[in-house]
Amino acid sequence: MIDPHNDVDKLVNTLSKVFSNTSIENIMSSPPIVVTEETKIKYAKEVMRIKGISGMPVIKRNLKLAGIISIEDIIKVFEKGNLEERVDKWMTKNVTYLQTNDTIMKFLELNDTKRYGRYPVCNDSGKVVGVVTKLDILEWMFKKLGYIYVHDDRRYKALNKQFVSSITGEEVNRENSDYKFKVDYESVEMIGLGATKLKKFLLEKNVEPDLVRKISISTYEGEANIVIHSNSPGCIYCWIKEDHIKVFLEDQGKGIEDIETALTEGYSTAPENVREKGFGAGMGLPNMKRFSDRMTLISSLNKGVKLEMLFYLNKKGDK
Amino acid sequence: MNLDKLIEITKSEVITKSDNINDFNIEYAGASDLMSDFLAFSKENMFLITGLTSPQTITTAAVIGAKGIIFVRGKNISENIKNIANDLDITILKTNLSMYVACSILQKNGLKDAMGTDEGLL
Repeated sequence: MIDPHNDVDKLVNTLSKVFSNTSIENIMSSPPIVVTEETKIKYAKEVMRIKGISGMPVIKRNLKLAGIISIEDIIKVFEKGNLEERVDKWMTKNVTYLQTNDTIMKFLELNDTKRYGRYPVCNDSGKVVGVVTKLDILEWMFKKLGYIYVHDDRRYKALNKQFVSSITGEEVNRENSDYKFKVDYESVEMIGLGATKLKKFLLEKNVEPDLVRKISISTYEGEANIVIHSNSPGCIYCWIKEDHIKVFLEDQGKGIEDIETALTEGYSTAPENVREKGFGAGMGLPNMKRFSDRMTLISSLNKGVKLEMLFYLNKKGDK
Repeated sequence: MNLDKLIEITKSEVITKSDNINDFNIEYAGASDLMSDFLAFSKENMFLITGLTSPQTITTAAVIGAKGIIFVRGKNISENIKNIANDLDITILKTNLSMYVACSILQKNGLKDAMGTDEGLL
């Protein structure tokens, strides 16, 4: 199927450029899981098994880096050593490590040349304060991205056939939505009806009020866009899933030629009669991006707009 | 601040009243004629101060979870708007004061900015 290493590397490389100035300190797992030099291999093996990790830094008594011990090293012990031996006999010495103030770029350079799975992170005084893996970098980036923005040839394919979610990978089946609302695009006065009805619907389904608020604000903006810009029939769909709520809006209107500009705060092409109603401040798409956990917008000139937003349920530490 | 106090200090007339609004303690307000502003920077349970009397004002209030709206500058409020407000359970007050004066009175009486830009001032 796919070569995981290759694909992960490609993805990390592409995304990293966007965040190249971010320091490793913000991404690393900390405090790190470590063992001291004199730990016996049999205990190190247990730590890795219980914590579900494939390697960890080995530290001296003063917390400074001594080496790194990985599953491969442990396998070697099984082949030709003794589980009662100390970690420092089998660990890799001369470890490549990162410093807290290194940036993602440094990680990328190492990733190109060394290709290790994990790097210990040391602070100014050489003490091990964290570990960073490719997975850490990926997870952090996806959190940071918050939305995915598709603006290339893929959109033409997507617009001309069944819409496949670029976030979850599933096909959008309009028939099985939990909520559906046809937007009356001829009346500016009717803006908001779909969003307020969706709000009522979600509250009846016992969705948490804070989340309902985010969803209804985002939907309201989307609904306003259909009426203001598309001049075509549009529809709002909503699905309540186990771990997320998905809102999908589509129209058959003139579409968006330059999505990047449309996403800029303050940019608007709304006509005067709409601005009189308090819209057209150029905050619609930026707001949707802000309130949703993931947003995909697919559009091109005269092909309508398809907008998908995901809102995760039970997310802790949410604003 | 409760609703009666709000009505008194802004010399307002009640147009619609939502359930339980009399017991509610009003803490936050924000003023704009741009609905997008409210959608972007709002606080739940706030009061909107606006001169824009369109159905969108009511639906905007509903989606952001605002408690009520004060329409300033003595605007006429249509039956349609009253019906939507009743339906969506939004309190509407109307005053002849300008937006400027209405805001100033409310701020003087301790209502906080829904956008939070008043923090650290005074």
